[in-house]
Amino acid sequence: MLRMENVSKIYRTDLVETHALRKVDLHIKSGEFVSVTGPSGSGKTTFLNLAGALETFEEGDYFLDGHNVKGLSDDKLSEIRNQKIGFIFQSFNLLPDLPLFDNVDVPLRYRGMSAKERKERIEHALETVGLASRMQHLPTQLSGGQQQRVAIARAIAGDPLFLLADEPTGNLDSLMAQQVMELLEDINSKGTTIIMVTHDDQLARRAHRNIQIFDGQVSDIEKSVADDVIRSA
Amino acid sequence: MFSYNFQLALKSLKERPALTLLTILAIATGLGLYTTVKTMSYQSSQVPLAHKSKNIFLLQMDNREITADAVEHQARMVDTTYKDTLNLMQLEMPGVKQSFNWSTYGILNVEDENINPLQTTAAVVNSSFFTMFETPFLYGNGWDKTTEESGEAVIIISKLMNDKLFGGRNSVGESVRINTHVLKIIGVLDTWYLSSKFYNRSFWPGYPDNFFIPYTFAMDNNLPRSAGFDCWAANADISRSFRTENKDRLINSECAWVTFWAEVPEAKVADYRQQIMSYMESEQTLGRFPRELAMYLTNLNDQYNYVNGRNQFLNTFSVLATLFFAVCLLNAVGILLAKFMRRKKEVSLRRALGAKKKTIIMQHLLEVVIIGLLGGLLGIVISYFGLQGMMSIRLYSSDYTVRIEDIQPLFQLNWVMIANAFVTGIICTIVASIYPIWRLCNIPPASQLKSQ
Ligand SMILES: Nc1ncnc2c1ncn2[C@@H]1O[C@H](COP(=O)(O)OP(=O)(O)O)[C@@H](O)[C@H]1O
Ligand SMILES: [Mg+2]
Repeated sequence: MLRMENVSKIYRTDLVETHALRKVDLHIKSGEFVSVTGPSGSGKTTFLNLAGALETFEEGDYFLDGHNVKGLSDDKLSEIRNQKIGFIFQSFNLLPDLPLFDNVDVPLRYRGMSAKERKERIEHALETVGLASRMQHLPTQLSGGQQQRVAIARAIAGDPLFLLADEPTGNLDSLMAQQVMELLEDINSKGTTIIMVTHDDQLARRAHRNIQIFDGQVSDIEKSVADDVIRSA
Repeated sequence: MFSYNFQLALKSLKERPALTLLTILAIATGLGLYTTVKTMSYQSSQVPLAHKSKNIFLLQMDNREITADAVEHQARMVDTTYKDTLNLMQLEMPGVKQSFNWSTYGILNVEDENINPLQTTAAVVNSSFFTMFETPFLYGNGWDKTTEESGEAVIIISKLMNDKLFGGRNSVGESVRINTHVLKIIGVLDTWYLSSKFYNRSFWPGYPDNFFIPYTFAMDNNLPRSAGFDCWAANADISRSFRTENKDRLINSECAWVTFWAEVPEAKVADYRQQIMSYMESEQTLGRFPRELAMYLTNLNDQYNYVNGRNQFLNTFSVLATLFFAVCLLNAVGILLAKFMRRKKEVSLRRALGAKKKTIIMQHLLEVVIIGLLGGLLGIVISYFGLQGMMSIRLYSSDYTVRIEDIQPLFQLNWVMIANAFVTGIICTIVASIYPIWRLCNIPPASQLKSQ
């Protein structure tokens, strides 16, 4: 469902060239829960940005749902993000002056859905994350964990092919992190593919599959292999 | 999508009302002043007698001495001498009307002791003046040729004079005094609105003269001449005493001070020109017109074009108002830029969640168009008061010898100006917002969302 072949990403500034990703070959299947780990600055966010069609790249090919994303217009990429991908960010990124309902509404609006359908989807998504009763609250009236759950509701409301989460628990204490992780696992168990960057090894291990990035290079460890490594250690 | 963007635009405007108001005010003040000046230019450039303005010609014959300098433009050419005026009036041309005038001034006095004498500007004219220029009469009529030739002491006064001297009643048949002369009123003009006083070539904005007397009477009694004049070297001595020089010397001089007009139908213009040329040729054989023969017929439209292009006051004022408008717009750009740049994070999030560039552009364009619309509306209100202000200044500077109805049309907003202000307001606001919006829609999606 998501296949990268030989993908490289170089950031060029006047002074330096940063090879943020080097020749990434990767295949992620539908329904997987993939964790991405690696040291800070190794290219995890860059990887998610490419996977999420937020950034363009010059080398390699990226097939999403069977279609090559490379070289698509800005409009087309916006459409792909809007219809196929759900984003969850470390710092939640809710719009502070909009009630929860309207926050979840944002991607649906850009999809041009009818008011009725949007309402149904928003209510359903907020129910899934357990915040249906808070629809008219502002994000600032919620705890961090609750805010991240709103962000998850926003990500799943449009029924995306997969969720991309960049350190979704990075700003949360461990109890809240647990709850968010459980929510993601729950969503995954209902069929949504999830790719999650995390610093937390324990959380990473709960995924089906762990991808490690070092200095822009991806090494892909199947869960079974990883378990063996852990057992033998 | 439109309604969503519209909601977002409204929300943004309401979110920071002071900033919104400031932007609207910046645009409105600039536009208000700009529209004030534009309206004044537009109204004062309107050519009177539009239905026949292309057939009303100013006649000028070059009677200057051989050593005179070339003129920069025919509009700078001299007026007509008194003897040429009388000679030309003798020409018989069916379908052609001629009239002439020059300026004078005087103190009007009535028998009633309670009424103060009034000093005012006036015009010396011939009988066809009133028909050619279609002056509106409130009471009575103009005079005919016979009256004129007999040198009878008749006068036509303006509505303003009639109101001040006679309390507005029908004064036809009554008399007024100018110095020691007693003149009989035969007509009272109604408000005669002119965008500028073209008939004596002053093109002074607004109101016409306050009384009109026959040229025969003016010459016989040697009333003062306040018109511009040109006496050539041969008559240089007259220059010094022109205003009060006795008529016998003036009549035979080459001093030119009469503004001469001809109303000539399209088909007769060539003939008329030919006739004037042959008149000049015959005069040349008598030793006049020493230069190569040159005469000019300039219709009202062309004269207005020339004068409008040289209206120093309005032109300078226009440039200033345009500059001021530009500064105001620049201000608006600054405010918009600051405001939009605070929204970087939100825009990058919306882009990440699937908003296309054009959607972001539409959202902000809507916001800007609303600002432009409100700025345009307020600008029109401001220009209305600006024009009232300019009119008060004009009334004041005339020492209130002018009345509002004489000059009001010069300061009148019309639909053309209102539409113009509106469209200018919106277009300029949009143009001013191109850069801020361009900056905003080019923010890479999610670029502003990195965790700190
Ligand atoms: N927009 C950018 N311009 C230039 N360099 C960048 C940009 N984004 C990331 N980088 C660089 O690319 C490398 C990978 O960054 P990133 O993907 O954010 O790492 P991680 O998420 O693993 O911490 C880093 O060296 C970072 O400095
Ligand atoms: Mg990162």
